[in-house]
Amino acid sequence: MDYDPAHERPLKKRRFFVDDSSDATAPTTDPAAPRASFDASSSRANEDNGVNDFFTDHTQGLENAGQQVQPSTSVPTSKDVIHSHGQNAIDGFDTPTFISIVGEQLSPETLLKIRNASGGNLERAINIYFDGSWKISGGVQAARPSQTTLTARERAPLLPTPTPVPSSAAPGPVSIPDEVAKPTNAGPPRHMSQPSRRYIGAFGVGAWATRSGVGLVKHGDIVNIERARSQPLSTRGRGGKQRVNNKGDVLTRFTNSDGQEIGRLPRESAEWVSTLLDQKVCELRGVCVFAPDRLRVNDTIYLQLWCYLRIEAFQPRILSLSADNNRATTIFEDQESAEEKQLRLRQVALVKLFDEIGLQPMSQDDTTKKQKKEGLLRAAEMADQDSKKPKNGNDSEEEEPAELEEDQLDALYKKAQSFDFNMPEAQPPSTFALDLRKYQKQALHWMLAKEKDKKSGRELSMHPLWEQYTWPLKDVDDKDLPAVEGIKHFYVNPYSGELSLDFPAQEQHCLGGVLADEMGLGKTIEMLSLVHSHRNVPLAQNSNGTSASNLMRPSGVVPAPYTTLVVAPTSLLAQWESEALKASLPGSMKVLMYYGNEKAVNLRDLCSASNLAAPNVIVTSYGVVLAEHRQQLTTLASASSASWTPGNLFSVDFFRVILDEAHIIKNRRSKTARACYELKATHRWVLTGTPIVNRLEDLFSLVRFLKVEPWNNFSFWKTFITTPFENKEFVRALSVVQTVLEPLVLRRTKTMKTPEGEPLVPLPQRTVDIVEVELSDQEREIYNHIYTRAKQTFNNGVENGTLLKSYSTIFAQLLRLRQTCCHPILTRNKVIVADEEDAAAAADQSNELKDDMDLQELIDRFTAATENQTDSPAEAQDPLQKFTALALRQIQTESSGECPICSEEPMIDPAVTSCWHSACKKCLEDYIQHQTDKNVQPRCFSCRFPLTAQDIFEVIRHGNGTPPTPTPALQPPPSSDPDGGEDLYGSSQPPPRISLRRINPLSPSAHTSAKIHALLTHLARIPSGSKSVVFSQFTSFLDLISPQLTKAGIHHVRLDGTMPQKARAEVLAQFNKTETFSQEELDEAESTTPLANTPKPTTPTPSSTKPRHLSKLPTETSPTVLLISLRAGGVGLNLTSANNVFMMDPWWSFAIEAQAIDRVHRMGQTKDVNVVRFVTKESIEGRMLKVQERKMGIAGSLGMGGDGGEEEKRKERIEELRLLFE
Amino acid sequence: MALPKRIIKETERLLAEPVPGITAVPHEDNLRYFDVTIHGPAQSPYEGGVFHLELFLPEDYPMTPPKIRFLTKIYHPNIDRLGRICLDVLKSNWSPALQIRTILLSIQILLGAPNPDDPLANDVAQRWKEDEAAAIQTAKEWTRTHAMT
Repeated sequence: MDYDPAHERPLKKRRFFVDDSSDATAPTTDPAAPRASFDASSSRANEDNGVNDFFTDHTQGLENAGQQVQPSTSVPTSKDVIHSHGQNAIDGFDTPTFISIVGEQLSPETLLKIRNASGGNLERAINIYFDGSWKISGGVQAARPSQTTLTARERAPLLPTPTPVPSSAAPGPVSIPDEVAKPTNAGPPRHMSQPSRRYIGAFGVGAWATRSGVGLVKHGDIVNIERARSQPLSTRGRGGKQRVNNKGDVLTRFTNSDGQEIGRLPRESAEWVSTLLDQKVCELRGVCVFAPDRLRVNDTIYLQLWCYLRIEAFQPRILSLSADNNRATTIFEDQESAEEKQLRLRQVALVKLFDEIGLQPMSQDDTTKKQKKEGLLRAAEMADQDSKKPKNGNDSEEEEPAELEEDQLDALYKKAQSFDFNMPEAQPPSTFALDLRKYQKQALHWMLAKEKDKKSGRELSMHPLWEQYTWPLKDVDDKDLPAVEGIKHFYVNPYSGELSLDFPAQEQHCLGGVLADEMGLGKTIEMLSLVHSHRNVPLAQNSNGTSASNLMRPSGVVPAPYTTLVVAPTSLLAQWESEALKASLPGSMKVLMYYGNEKAVNLRDLCSASNLAAPNVIVTSYGVVLAEHRQQLTTLASASSASWTPGNLFSVDFFRVILDEAHIIKNRRSKTARACYELKATHRWVLTGTPIVNRLEDLFSLVRFLKVEPWNNFSFWKTFITTPFENKEFVRALSVVQTVLEPLVLRRTKTMKTPEGEPLVPLPQRTVDIVEVELSDQEREIYNHIYTRAKQTFNNGVENGTLLKSYSTIFAQLLRLRQTCCHPILTRNKVIVADEEDAAAAADQSNELKDDMDLQELIDRFTAATENQTDSPAEAQDPLQKFTALALRQIQTESSGECPICSEEPMIDPAVTSCWHSACKKCLEDYIQHQTDKNVQPRCFSCRFPLTAQDIFEVIRHGNGTPPTPTPALQPPPSSDPDGGEDLYGSSQPPPRISLRRINPLSPSAHTSAKIHALLTHLARIPSGSKSVVFSQFTSFLDLISPQLTKAGIHHVRLDGTMPQKARAEVLAQFNKTETFSQEELDEAESTTPLANTPKPTTPTPSSTKPRHLSKLPTETSPTVLLISLRAGGVGLNLTSANNVFMMDPWWSFAIEAQAIDRVHRMGQTKDVNVVRFVTKESIEGRMLKVQERKMGIAGSLGMGGDGGEEEKRKERIEELRLLFE
Repeated sequence: MALPKRIIKETERLLAEPVPGITAVPHEDNLRYFDVTIHGPAQSPYEGGVFHLELFLPEDYPMTPPKIRFLTKIYHPNIDRLGRICLDVLKSNWSPALQIRTILLSIQILLGAPNPDDPLANDVAQRWKEDEAAAIQTAKEWTRTHAMT
């Protein structure tokens, strides 16, 4: 129809026609009969291939039907060929084009074979022809390829009903060939299978003429509807990209029977009609209803357009096929693929079409009827908006989708979180070594249910997004249409534009889901219990058979029926491995760390069903997945599949794949996400505490990975969720997301309570104390100075109304204020500070006494000096030197003695003067103060050597995390006899390292601040063996705290954002190490000990190494304090080995602080957690707490969708500033 | 006000291990107030005499030295008529490292070695310098008169 027979039909075909008609006259139940009779009877010139089309079933179906019903009738191949030719342009197989491309004449049999093999796809046919594969494929009937592409209709031919042969059938009204075909007197003709096209309805359109003339077209004339000629015909075949309906490429014209162009369809119709034609969804046949006799350009011609759905429209879309092939992946940098867009156009067009012809869906799920209707309307409406976008020319517009507000997120999760506490539980098998909590067993049950959710036993229900339509039985003129046996309905997915003849059953493709329990509830453990509970056990007898089947697919993907792949961030790999081992009885779980296939691990062999020792769990990182995927792509691109990279992650079809911290793939365009989509597995799981980080698209990526139909189609998702959301239809979009989430997601939060009011996870008590810190006079002075300036800026802003303009200035000043609260040096000019540091260093040099000295070193130094002098007897031994050495040694042993000033024993904070006389720190300071007050030169209490405040050193004993104020019990026993004592304790308790620290250091950064002092005081109160985490948002503040801790003899480590991942992991491992040996360490020690039977490495056999070994103990103990920047401490960290939290400075929102606190107060925490928030008294910090409270109040009162806009936010900010300054 | 640990300790030690020739007993109603006796050192003009002193530990002891005064009349160039003592460690050379015991010892030594070059009682010092024998004689007499009853 849409081509001119005179031009397009090659001569050859004419000959077939002759053959055909003679053939078909034979009376048979072959569905071809009616056509034959028509052919015979009607020799009208206007007899066009439409007649053929109508009866020409898809060859394969026809053959099947023919064979089954009338095996005796040998259907001549030539007839088939005719059919194929007859419908060439209709099903996309354009024989002449094919021949012209191929460049040689082919026999009809060959053509048919190729055509069948290609499934009617021209491009494929050409490929098939050139690679020669058609020669080996089956016989003439070559039904195989058709089966693959046309499974939809296989059923139909199997149900042949003897249909009355349509009578010789007076040709119907001339104008409509279809009508002609339909006998009016007998019952409607029936088809054995779906014809290549089928009438669905008609609609009217007012087209406009493009030429003038008389009698070009008149009422009742048939016109051909064509797409613009400018398109070369050959692009029809597949042409995804060419088909993109750009602006200006929607021209749809119509020609009269002579092939003359008469006019064009109006643009509004052409816009979607063109899509339907281009995508071979529809075929249109026009009948002129009215045309002026004398036609002028731009006259209106009224046409009735008869629409036929083409068989190709029902084929599984080539588009979706190509989405899976490598072509699609090689262009994966494309933002939104042409396919996605094409789909959208098709969807829009279909919805429009159904609207125009008034076709109503007939059956729907009762339950969803209402929703469906809304949905359809909505889809159409969305489609409108959607279709406008690309037509506006900015194809690539892909603005960042709007972010979700906090409360919207809450609402989203609400449904997924409606957790039923009476959910059944599942018991993990005995190989699982850990005890599960109740909710974890419930999770296990849920996961098992998700994984084992087979379709069997469930009633087939229609996919909720599809609609069922009945093929019309009457046409627009109320004439009967031929029915097709077994195919009364067709199905449309108005959201994706898909068509199907098969009943679209709702399938749960995804045998997995999203485990989104909040951080700390034990997702890893839950998952491991699933790995234990649902696994294939290798069968011994199985081994031979399966290996053979592996060989059959040398380049294919091998199933790995025993293996679960875990993809996790690099930092968590070790944790997964150890958890997996910890959770399993010895020997019940084989865990493999996989670092990429260059490590000579062939996963295909390793994981194959025949390998009884296949690992149960393979742990790898996102990086490895990405790298192997890239490698995979390059190999695929560069060579044929023969040089397949052996045995990488993509060569195996895992039993289960688990993505940990799956929000890593939240960006669907990221290469990592793309790589993860390609992982093959029966069961797919994602673990994340935050399935939606801040955009709804985040969820899409997870859904895509899970392969949840139909949401894994981005255009679908976009139409349905993103677009409404961006159009501020939040409630709608979110409710859709909720429905997506509900069956997929299991999420419990820590705040959930059981019906009995018990928390889900009984965490130890958490107490938060706000400790007010008083600034020292000096600090207060600096603070006030900065505050005055800031306040002035604020006041000026208020007066001039430019508050928000100076917002950043004020903000910077606020920052200064907050820093001053921590340590004044943070606000000082770095250059000046550095100068002072240099000066201090210089002073150290000249003094020979540094701010911080190791006592042992000093002793060694002076002892060496004395000895040298002894060696050279010529010089008199310097008595001072000798005294010093002696005095220092006394400090070592006696600083724990009685204070000569206050008689405290031992001294409180022992200190020494630069002349090495010791007393309590406070006594010394008081005395110097006393003398200064009396305007007397301060002197040493003992030797009257002139002193200054800088000449006093604190004596710091290091070791075992002893707090700076040691309780007597912790002190090494004071020994009256140092020599004897040394022997007594020397072996087991070496003298602790002692350092001397200047109390009033020369270098500015060595000064403590009020807050650091408060921290040290609090740390001192903490019993030994209890660890602490110190958070600050200023890493520079951490820089200052660290040396103070060192001075206080507190072993600490530090973690901040600047550290590489590896270093962080190391720090955490160090910090989390418990005081006692962990089992792994025991094992490690055992394995390194040659004597395998050594009972306990901690009690080594007496040997010469013993003292060394023991002496290492104190220094090797795990640090007790972790300094961590507030931001680096954000994600995934587990700091439960600590149970004290110190928040050095408040953040604007308490949520951030709460999150930090939750690093410690989370699952696995066994002790009560004490949180101390330091807040400087009468300062900006106290007011920040007020802002925090206010924010919490606002967040609670905000309703859904009620976004106040910029103006509101501004007011809010001003309000906050007022709070801070007034 | 609680008594500082130092004072308690000193008192205890003074009582437990008294210095030969010296006693120091705190008043029961005021533990900072001590009754002190010092025996005149042998081979000194004060030999045989028992001298009574009063000793008071001020509030900021040991930052400031104890206040101490002879109650018994004594003829000595460094001790005035009121019993006040001229001793550097009781004044500028005081150090908190010194104690009651050390101070009393110093006073005892002072009795054995008068220092007329740094006098407190100028007339006595004058005499001591001009006629040491006569001065010593007077001192002995005073001791007999006042310190041997």
